[in-house]
Amino acid sequence: MKHDPKNFSGEHLLWQKKRKRRLAIVWSLRVGLLLCFLLFWELSTRLGWADPFLVSSPSRIGATLASLYAEGTLFYHIGVTLLETVIGFAAAVALGYAIALLLWWSDLLRRVLEPYIVVLNALPKIAMGPLIIIWCGTGSKAIVFMTILVGIIVVIMHSLSAFLETDENKLLLLRSMGAGKRQILTKLVIPSSRAAFISMLKVAVGMSWIGSIMGEYIVSRAGLGYLIVYGGQVFKLDLVMTATVVLCALAAAMYFLVVLLEKILVKNTKN
Amino acid sequence: MKEKILTFDNVKLIYHTVRGETVATEGLSFEISEGEFVAMIGPSGCGKSTLLSLAAGLLKPSEGTVTRRGSVGYMLQRDELFPWRTIEKNILLPLEIQKKLTSEAREEAKKLAEKYGLKEFLGSYPAELSGGMRQRAALIRTLAPGPDILLLDEPFSALDYQTRLNVTQDVAGIIRREHKTALLITHDISEAISLADRVIVLTGRPARVAHTHSLGFGEDDPLKRRENRQFSVWFELLWKELNA
Repeated sequence: MKHDPKNFSGEHLLWQKKRKRRLAIVWSLRVGLLLCFLLFWELSTRLGWADPFLVSSPSRIGATLASLYAEGTLFYHIGVTLLETVIGFAAAVALGYAIALLLWWSDLLRRVLEPYIVVLNALPKIAMGPLIIIWCGTGSKAIVFMTILVGIIVVIMHSLSAFLETDENKLLLLRSMGAGKRQILTKLVIPSSRAAFISMLKVAVGMSWIGSIMGEYIVSRAGLGYLIVYGGQVFKLDLVMTATVVLCALAAAMYFLVVLLEKILVKNTKN
Repeated sequence: MKEKILTFDNVKLIYHTVRGETVATEGLSFEISEGEFVAMIGPSGCGKSTLLSLAAGLLKPSEGTVTRRGSVGYMLQRDELFPWRTIEKNILLPLEIQKKLTSEAREEAKKLAEKYGLKEFLGSYPAELSGGMRQRAALIRTLAPGPDILLLDEPFSALDYQTRLNVTQDVAGIIRREHKTALLITHDISEAISLADRVIVLTGRPARVAHTHSLGFGEDDPLKRRENRQFSVWFELLWKELNA
C-alpha cells in the first residue's frame, strides 16, 4: 500500500478530494440545520406566530444565561449538577464493574443473583425516591445515591455479559498453558472486553444524567434539575429552556470525553 | 528404546449434559514416543478435540489413566493470537503465564522467532499479518516455552487451500528441525499422510484405536511425500478404514 502523498495516482487524489468534499457537506448541513432551527425559533416568536412566554426563544435564553452569570449563580448550578453526576457516574462504574468481576469469578454467586439483578433492572428507580429521601436526607447525598442506583445495574449487566462472551478457544489455549483463573482474568477477559467497556461507559453516561436530574427533581436546592423544576413551578419557561440547553451541552461534552477515551483505549481489538 | 512421552491406558470418558450422557471414548490405549510425529484421524464427531483435552490434562478420564511426561504445547484451528498484543508479546505469552519470563527466556524466544522469519513482525499486531504468517507466529508461541509434546488440533483447517499447503510445509519443517514430539488430530487424510511417522485410525463414538500404521516414507517433506507413489496407496487404505 502507498502512504506517501507524492506517489498517489491521479485517481486516488480525486477520490480523496471527493471524500473531503463529502465530509464538508455533511458538516455544513449539520451546522446549517441547527442555525435554521434557531433562526426559525427566534423569528416565530418575534413575528408573533408563537408565544415566547410558552416556548421561549434563543435570544431570551441568551439573556437568561447572561443574567444567571451576572448573578453569579450559573456556574454554581452547573457545578452542583456536574459534581453529583460525575461522582455518581464514577461510583456506579467502579462498583458495578467490581461486582461484575465478582459474578464472573463465582459461577455459583452469578446463578444465585441473576434473577435479582434482572428484577432490579426492570424496577423504575424513581419509585425508590421517598426511601432515598428518608435514608440520605435532602442534600446532594440523596442525588448521588439516585445516580448510582440508576447506573449500576446497567454497568453490571453490560460488563458481565462482555466477560462471559470471552472466546472459548482462547480460554482453552490459556488453560493449556497452565493459566489460573486470575491470569485468565487479567490476560484475557479484561483486555478482550475493552470495546464493550467503552460502550458500557457510553450507556452509563446517559444513565448518570438521568439519575442526577431525576434526583434533583425529587430533592434539591441547587443544580440544573432544580432550576428546571423551579422554573416550571413559577412559570419561568425561559429558565427551564436555558437549563435544558446547558444540560444538553454538558451531556454532549461528557459523551465526547468517553469517545476520546475510546480512541486511546480501543486499538487492536479486532482479529 | 525411546522414552514414552504420552500414554493412554484403557481410557474412558463420559460427557454429561442435561439430556443425558455420552460415552466419548472407551478402552482407548496408545503411546507416543519421544521425537515421534503421530497423526490421528477418525470419522467426524468421534470426539477428537476431547482426546487432545485429555492429553493436555484439561479433562480427567472417567476410567483408565493418561500419563504424560513433561509439558504440552497446544495449537488450535485458528491461531488465536491476542489482537491487542504485538507478535512479540503474543509469543512471550506462555512464558509469562508460566512465570518463566526471564531475560534469557525472552532472548531465546525472540531468537526462535527470528530464525523462522518473524523478526520484522515482532512489533506488529496480528491484524497486520497474513494468515500463513499468523499461524507461524502461533507455532513459535507454542514452541517458546519448550514443550515436550505438541498437540495439534487441525491447525491448518481454517486456511485456504494454497496457504494451507504452504503452512503445512512450513510448520512441518519447523517441528522436524526442532525435533519435537507431536500429536496431530485431523479429519484430513492427506494431511495425516504427508506429515506423520505413524497414523492412528479411530473408530466412531465411543472412540477406540481401530488401526495403527507406520508410514515408513523415509522422507519428511510433506510436498515430496504427496508426489510419492506410496501416498495414494496409503490414502486408499486409510479412506477404506475410515469408512468401514
